[in-house]
Amino acid sequence: MTTYVYGIARGDRTELPEGLTGIGDPPAPVRVVTGAGLSAVVSDCPGELRPKRRDLLAHQRVLTEVGRRATVLPMRFGSVSDSDEQVRTVLAEHSDRYEEQLDRLTGRVEYNIKVVHHEDAVLHLVLAENTELRTLAEANRADGGGSYEQRLRFGELVAQAVREREAHDAALVRGALAPLAEGERPGPESAGWFLNVSFLVDEDAGGRLLAEVGRLEKEHPQLDLKVHGPLPPYSFVE
Amino acid sequence: MSVVPAPQGGGAGGTSGLYDVLELVLDRGLVIDAFVRVSLVGIEILKIDVRVVVASVDTYLRFAEACNRLDLEAGPHKNPGLPDLVGTVTEGGARGRTKGAISGAAQSVKDVVQQVRDRGDGQSGGSRSRKKEESE
Repeated sequence: MTTYVYGIARGDRTELPEGLTGIGDPPAPVRVVTGAGLSAVVSDCPGELRPKRRDLLAHQRVLTEVGRRATVLPMRFGSVSDSDEQVRTVLAEHSDRYEEQLDRLTGRVEYNIKVVHHEDAVLHLVLAENTELRTLAEANRADGGGSYEQRLRFGELVAQAVREREAHDAALVRGALAPLAEGERPGPESAGWFLNVSFLVDEDAGGRLLAEVGRLEKEHPQLDLKVHGPLPPYSFVE
Repeated sequence: MSVVPAPQGGGAGGTSGLYDVLELVLDRGLVIDAFVRVSLVGIEILKIDVRVVVASVDTYLRFAEACNRLDLEAGPHKNPGLPDLVGTVTEGGARGRTKGAISGAAQSVKDVVQQVRDRGDGQSGGSRSRKKEESE
C-alpha cells in the first residue's frame, strides 16, 4: 500500500479534525506520519490513483481543514510515497528546508485573483477615451452599421484599444493590491484572464485585500475581479 | 467582485470557480523528488468559460457590432436602450463564468454581446477558446 501525501506541518502532534477523509472511493481516512519534529498529513493511496475531480477536491479539502488549525506546506496534487517509512526519511532529510518555509508561512494565506473586463463597460471606456474611435462608431452607425470593411477596420482599432486597456488595468490592479501582500506570484498559465496573480497575505489582512478589491471595482466599473481565498499557500512553497 | 471562500466543514464546495482552485492544486504546491507524481494524462477537470480576446476577424466584427449597439451617451451601467433585444437571449446568462454584481442594464448589454459572440462562434466553428468540459 502506497502513501498519499497532502502536506507537511510542524511538530509531531498535529491535530486532525475528527473523521477527516481524503482521496479514494471510499475516501481514505487521513492520518499523520511524524519524523524529525515534523508531521506529514497522509492517507493510504488507492492502487489506481487518477486525477479525478473528486480526488482533486479531496486534496484541497484536507489542506483547507488542516490549515485551519496549523500552518501546512501544501503538496502539489498527486504526490505518492512508497511507504510511511519513506515519508519519515524525506521529512528527516529535508527538515531544515521545511522548517524554514513553515516559519515564513506561519499566519499567511494565499489569495488568487483573476481579472477580466466587463465587456460593455470596457467598450464604453475605450470609446469615451478615444475621439477617433467615437467618430468612427458614429459614422458607422449613421451608415447602418457600416460596410464589412468599415466594421472590420473599426473593430480592429477597438480590439487594439481594449488590449492596451488590459495592460493598463493589470498594472493598476497589481499596483493597488501588492502593497497589502508579503508575496506575489503569477498564476498558472491559463487563458481567459488578462491578469491571474496570487498574493501571500497575513491572514488578518485578508479583509483589507477584499476591501481594496471592492474599491477597485467601484472606481473602475470595467473591472471584474474574481477572488479565491483564503487558500493554502500553494504558490509560495518550494 | 466575486469572492470564493475556502470550502467549509468538509463539504466539497460548489463548482463555481472550482477550476480556479484546481489549477493551483495541479500546478503549484510542494514537489518532493523522492515521491512519485500521479500522471496527469487524461485529467478530469472542470474548465469554466474562458474569454479570450483574440486578434481575429471574428473579434473585430463582434466588437464593431457591440459598439454599434452601445449608447455612447450613457454611462457603462446606464440603460443601453435595447428593449427589443433584451430577453431574447437566455444562453448568455447561463455561462459558467462567475460575475460580480452588476446592474441589470449592464447585464442586458452583456447578453446582447454574448448573442453576437455566440453567432460568431457558430459561423467560425469556435475559433475562440470557450470551453466547458465537465466530468464526474
